[in-house]
Amino acid sequence: MDDKIVVEDLSFYYGDTPALVDINLKVQTNSVMALIGPSGCGKSTFLRCINRMNDIIPFTRVEGKINVDDEDIYDQKFDVTNLRRRVGMVFQKSNPFPKSIFENIAYGLRINGIKDKYSIERTVEESLKKTALWNEVKDRLNDSAMGLSGGQQQRLCIARTIAIQPDIILMDEPASALDPISTQKIEELIHNLKTQFTIVIVTHNMQQAARVSDYTAFFYMGKLIEVNKTDTIFTNPEKEMTENYITGKFG
Amino acid sequence: MTTHLQQELEHISQKIFQMADLAIESIQNAVTSLKNVDTALAESVIQKDTKLDQLEISIDEDCIRVLVTKHPAAADLRLVLAILKANTDLERIGDLSTSIAKETIRLDGRSPLKPLVDIPRMSEMAINMIKLAFRSFTERNADLARDCIELDRQIDDLNMQVYRELFSFMAENPSTISQALGLISVSKALERIGDHATNLAERAIYYIEGEDIRHQE
Repeated sequence: MDDKIVVEDLSFYYGDTPALVDINLKVQTNSVMALIGPSGCGKSTFLRCINRMNDIIPFTRVEGKINVDDEDIYDQKFDVTNLRRRVGMVFQKSNPFPKSIFENIAYGLRINGIKDKYSIERTVEESLKKTALWNEVKDRLNDSAMGLSGGQQQRLCIARTIAIQPDIILMDEPASALDPISTQKIEELIHNLKTQFTIVIVTHNMQQAARVSDYTAFFYMGKLIEVNKTDTIFTNPEKEMTENYITGKFG
Repeated sequence: MTTHLQQELEHISQKIFQMADLAIESIQNAVTSLKNVDTALAESVIQKDTKLDQLEISIDEDCIRVLVTKHPAAADLRLVLAILKANTDLERIGDLSTSIAKETIRLDGRSPLKPLVDIPRMSEMAINMIKLAFRSFTERNADLARDCIELDRQIDDLNMQVYRELFSFMAENPSTISQALGLISVSKALERIGDHATNLAERAIYYIEGEDIRHQE
């Protein structure tokens, strides 16, 4: 299979402090890669490097290369707005716009130049169906999104992300603030979405990483310790440090 | 710090070791009962098999509980999976010992067809194999498990030797057929015990190295 994301010798600094050191990693197209590791190990920083979210943090510096579809996203000529359209992101805390359910999805479509009313309506419906939210909200599309439950809000945020057809979805602990049923829905969703998207997910929940991902990368103190197929990582990891982390001996 | 998971794994390991000791004892007593035509000892083997059956169920329950509640990973997970399977092998070893003990009872006080030489040797080898497999578990030394697997061939050879000898008895004197068939079934049971001991060694290697070496000849 093709590699959607290829990371080469990536280092990242907050001021003079290295947060990521010499990361080399490939993410296959239409696969789910889970990033695990103790707090402060650099996994969220790494995630944010993939859509250049760290650019907005002052006094930070990137070395090395990240290629998305063979294009260097840190190349000076690279269009960051276009990158963020291609690489969607879902955060730990759901962050719907203080607008109607419909507008939450339609807004992104409009600013991406889609004006046709029917086309927008169709995409809103499709996105809500793909995130299994349609049946729950179809009668109240004009109600405020802020009235939805936490789990519904998070699925709306995912619907908003996929509506503009990105290639990659980055998820930063998307279910950590949700109840078990909502978590299960998000995990099912991830499973279904990977047929169309490439997903990179940061999670503190190792069982979640085991359940949703095809590959797992273990980070520790800014270094990528091991990346492997998820079943290998959780049954027979190569590195002792990975073993100690996933068996709860440190972290 | 010892975690709850480690405590549970230690508890299950102790149970499987206890089961291994019982299985070894049942092989020993079954073959001794046959050698000495000791019906009482044979009956005690059959009675004690219940203990192995109970332990099998109890270990299965413990493993399921740990899998569901503690989500073990890596070597911890492999240990639980290895114990789950070793559990079945040990229970089967108990059943095979019981069938040897039943052969003693069938003799009804009569001496066996011939003095037993190879059959006690087979049982010693089988016991040695089980001990090696479990030492491999406790010492996390896969070489011991590989030594165990090597021994299985010797048991198979002895089994064939016993077959040949008993075939010649039967050919010379058809009145020995019934007793000879009894001893053939004992020899077969010990050969099967060797196979189960091989399985135990394979489980140990899976636990230690994470590699499944079954069916690789």
